[in-house]
Amino acid sequence: MSIEQLSDGIFEVITDDRKILATRNLYPGHSVYGERLMDVDGVEYRQWDPHRSKLGAMVLKGFDIPIEYDSHVLYLGAASGTTVSHVSDILADGLVYAVEFSPRTMRDLIKLCDQRPNIIPILADANKPRSYAHIVETVDVIFQDVAQPNQAEIAANNSKYFLENDGHLMLSIKSRSIDTVANPKKIFKDEVKKLESDFGVEFEVLQRKELDPFHEDHLGVLARMFVEDED
Amino acid sequence: MKAVTWFGTLVISEDGEVEECCLLKKDPELLAEHMLTAAGDEYLPVHGLKLRELALDCDFVDLEEEYDVLLREVCISTVKRQISMTDTDDKHIIQAVEAMDDIDKAANELSERLTEWYGIYFPELELTAEPMARFVARFGSRENVPEGHNMFAKASSSMGAELSLVDEDLLRNFATSLCGIYDTRKNLEQYIMNNMGAVAPNVTDIAGAPLGARLISLAGGLEKLAAFPSSTVQVIGASNALFKHLRSRAPSPKHGVIFNHPLIKGSPWWQRGKVARALASKISLAARMDVYGSAHDPSIRENLERKVEAIRKAHPEPPKKLSTKVTQPGPGRAGGRPVKKRGGQKKGGMNKGGKSIGNRSGGRSA
Repeated sequence: MSIEQLSDGIFEVITDDRKILATRNLYPGHSVYGERLMDVDGVEYRQWDPHRSKLGAMVLKGFDIPIEYDSHVLYLGAASGTTVSHVSDILADGLVYAVEFSPRTMRDLIKLCDQRPNIIPILADANKPRSYAHIVETVDVIFQDVAQPNQAEIAANNSKYFLENDGHLMLSIKSRSIDTVANPKKIFKDEVKKLESDFGVEFEVLQRKELDPFHEDHLGVLARMFVEDED
Repeated sequence: MKAVTWFGTLVISEDGEVEECCLLKKDPELLAEHMLTAAGDEYLPVHGLKLRELALDCDFVDLEEEYDVLLREVCISTVKRQISMTDTDDKHIIQAVEAMDDIDKAANELSERLTEWYGIYFPELELTAEPMARFVARFGSRENVPEGHNMFAKASSSMGAELSLVDEDLLRNFATSLCGIYDTRKNLEQYIMNNMGAVAPNVTDIAGAPLGARLISLAGGLEKLAAFPSSTVQVIGASNALFKHLRSRAPSPKHGVIFNHPLIKGSPWWQRGKVARALASKISLAARMDVYGSAHDPSIRENLERKVEAIRKAHPEPPKKLSTKVTQPGPGRAGGRPVKKRGGQKKGGMNKGGKSIGNRSGGRSA
């Protein structure tokens, strides 16, 4: 087995017949959701299943992941922490604010937070960024996976509050949660357009790709927030 | 600008300098308490702040690492408090309803197994499900059935195989476990009957305890049920039929689980859609009263009964227009369907487990 680094903290473990996406395990010896642990040259890596993680799928679809080892990340829609655990792996010297609305899933997430020093859990509604504005500082990257009908609006509002000038937004848009019947392609187009200009904050879309075959009817978007000069 | 942060209240100048600060004590429990109450404060920042720098500026912490460690500890403690606060009574009702469903599934499988197995020894026994389990648990071998028992004749002339002592023990044991499961189901039912009145008095009055509990369970909570529009309440539990309707040209479902309400079940087919709408609207109203309002109000039920009476009076006969298009629908039976059939369309809205949402006869949501 050998190893190849794709970007900060994200690796591919190369075995005889395939390449496995992985992150370096921040909490060695422990698997979070039953994923495989692999030892390469004395370092433990955790397999990252792109079918269970939108961010993992975005890596394999060739997105330039803006998360660096010392980034501060705001993660909206943390769920039970599958993807958050890998973000936590990447952020060897950074911090992730994990926002989740459901107390039931937070129950699982909190177990992860107990193990890892760089996850800050927040039980709040991503629709109301102000309700956690006393906790979250300005961040370098916002990642959002919320499956709500107003995904673009949520992303824009949170960016307005918390994203550093020139910071990056990574967004997974699920067409099914916007309209179950309409054509996904049209929804994606509308949502991206909305994001770019509808909410009083402008984005430059750097990359957009559908996440199939890992996730059906999902679009990955990488954007950078534009800040107009004030004078 | 005055701004509440998790570590204290600051006054910040236009260029981002801290002018005044009122810091809290560095006690995680105290900070968690504050973090919780501050979430609704009117002085929450109106845009994001560089909280870390501010905390260093006003000497709340000396190092960035200290900031991270303390913030993490406080957040975890806050979230744990929030989680324990979300324990509400309707959650227990939901668990009870879902436990009942699980038990039904398990009991079904086990009783089928018992029927097959015990059938080898006593095929003439015409009992099934619970009576059968009780019978086997009590007697074991058919030879133990005493004279005078109504199965005695069949037991003494059975063509079944002999039952060895070991097998008898095993089967009796198995049947006893099954009886235990049936007992648990009764306890759950009783629990729901006893508690629904306290959790949601108005919903229970309109819908009855079992149906009310099921609605709460499907909605995911009493508050969610109250937040639904009544058109949603009308079709809760008929999601398959509803989405088929939205996707293709299938007819819309008239009722979801509320079909089990006697007012709908007891109505002839042409009134059911109308009754379902009236019932759903009153259930919505009742749920909202239970969440936001006050005690039990019997007037909702009276209004509903009056409304249903009016529907019955206004529509005593099946509509004539439909009978030209439709093969005669048997009232109360899944007989009628449109003559004009559309390709590939199955009878919409049959939910698993017999919670029928049938789209009878023309199938328009009445």
